[in-house]
Amino acid sequence: MKLEVGYIQIRDIQFGETPMVKDGTLYVNAGELEALVLEDEYLAAVSFDIARPGESVRISPVKDVIEPRAKVEGSGDIFPGVISKVDTVGSGKTHVLRGAAVVTVGKIVGFQEGIIDMTGLGAQYTPFSKTVNLVANFTPKDGLSAHEYEAAARKAGLKIAYALGKLGVDMRPDDTKVYEFESLVEGLKKYPDLPRVGYVQMLQSQGLLHDTYVYGVDMKQSITTMLSPTEIMDGAIISGNCVSACDKNTTYHHQNNPVIEDLFSEHGKTLNFTAMIITNENVYLADKIRSSDWTAKLVDQLDLDGVIISQEGFGNPDTDLIMNCKKTEATGTKTVIITNEYAGRDGTSQSLADADPSADALVTGGNSNQVVTLPKLDKVIGTLEYTEKIAGGFAGNTDAQGSITVEIQAITGATNELGFNLLSAR
Amino acid sequence: MVKEIERAGIPVVHICTVTPISMTVGANRIVPAVAIPHPLGNPALSADEEKALRRKILTTALEAACTEVDGQTIFEVK
Repeated sequence: MKLEVGYIQIRDIQFGETPMVKDGTLYVNAGELEALVLEDEYLAAVSFDIARPGESVRISPVKDVIEPRAKVEGSGDIFPGVISKVDTVGSGKTHVLRGAAVVTVGKIVGFQEGIIDMTGLGAQYTPFSKTVNLVANFTPKDGLSAHEYEAAARKAGLKIAYALGKLGVDMRPDDTKVYEFESLVEGLKKYPDLPRVGYVQMLQSQGLLHDTYVYGVDMKQSITTMLSPTEIMDGAIISGNCVSACDKNTTYHHQNNPVIEDLFSEHGKTLNFTAMIITNENVYLADKIRSSDWTAKLVDQLDLDGVIISQEGFGNPDTDLIMNCKKTEATGTKTVIITNEYAGRDGTSQSLADADPSADALVTGGNSNQVVTLPKLDKVIGTLEYTEKIAGGFAGNTDAQGSITVEIQAITGATNELGFNLLSAR
Repeated sequence: MVKEIERAGIPVVHICTVTPISMTVGANRIVPAVAIPHPLGNPALSADEEKALRRKILTTALEAACTEVDGQTIFEVK
């Protein structure tokens, strides 16, 4: 599969009458977007705000972050099976409004939604302090269940991003990149001497508001399978998940997966990026065993030399990670895992809930229990009503000056396990 | 907790869903539970069936507590 991605650089978002992109500014018509959102029978109201890098703005509780994209050529359309009809994406041409993001907030769904600060210490921990954000703040109708509200907010965010992405279809991109994912035989013929490397992406699928959808399929109902990484760039995987803010993969993370990006940049040079495998993280032990068996079977049958496995979330998924690692290593495939740590506030506790000697090559996204104090900011988009309750918060964590003390797990993307974050020991 | 209580000389049975973690942390008597969000129940069953399931898990655990083990052992619920 070959996908050409055209990047249209967005430097600002403004409200305007006519939706368009002009000279690097994305103009949005809030009234039109409101009508689009309120097509959903479960949402009572929506308001829009713009948050720019450097502004004294705190956004919370953040549910999802989405990058506006649109198909220009090729089959299917963005978010297939969810917003667009089911059709295979990942080839042809796609335009991206780079630098812009849709952020969804509103009354809390679960207790694991996040904070994005646009300035100060908090801004250093989230990549979304560097994007210009159109924030959609939803009010659900009374009497909705958490699941109904989550589904409505999830779809509304995707619809907004889809509508904005369409504004870039007829534009000339500032920059273009071509991603070509060869078939197994093509790749082998082209690069006979390069190590064949696969990527196993674990997707959060624990249910109870911890779900990921692939072409609209709830991943907990799927067995381990394969796709082309270019499909993911077209929104084949979307986040429906309220797991801890620091290590959930938002839809934006999926659209811009750095593991895929780096494997492509090394493809044909130091390695042959051969396969993309997706697997789940379910709550039944039999599912964990079956899915990791399947991961190892695919890795073995594809005769890969090495795999990179990325985790999502923490706790019992640490077992899925270790099972995947143990079983792929047992097939003779060199395995590197990407995870993060919950090593306690002082960093001295055991980092993962499970371990095995075969997990001897590991990249960490950082310690999610690390504590930071975020200074009061001038403007709040959403509400700070839940800062004690969200994962990473605690009772009495706001002081008299309005500063909030949290573990960095409360910050969206802080210890991301795709390596999207900036935490470093250096 | 399992290990500390056992250190005091009282045998402990760990009922848990993710038995590999229980093995990693060093429990000696392990009984598999149903699922992480509902270790001792199953919302897909009727109330009577669920009660029977609970009894089975508990009975297995009690039997495990009375069984001499030679190293870490998983007691499957029959």
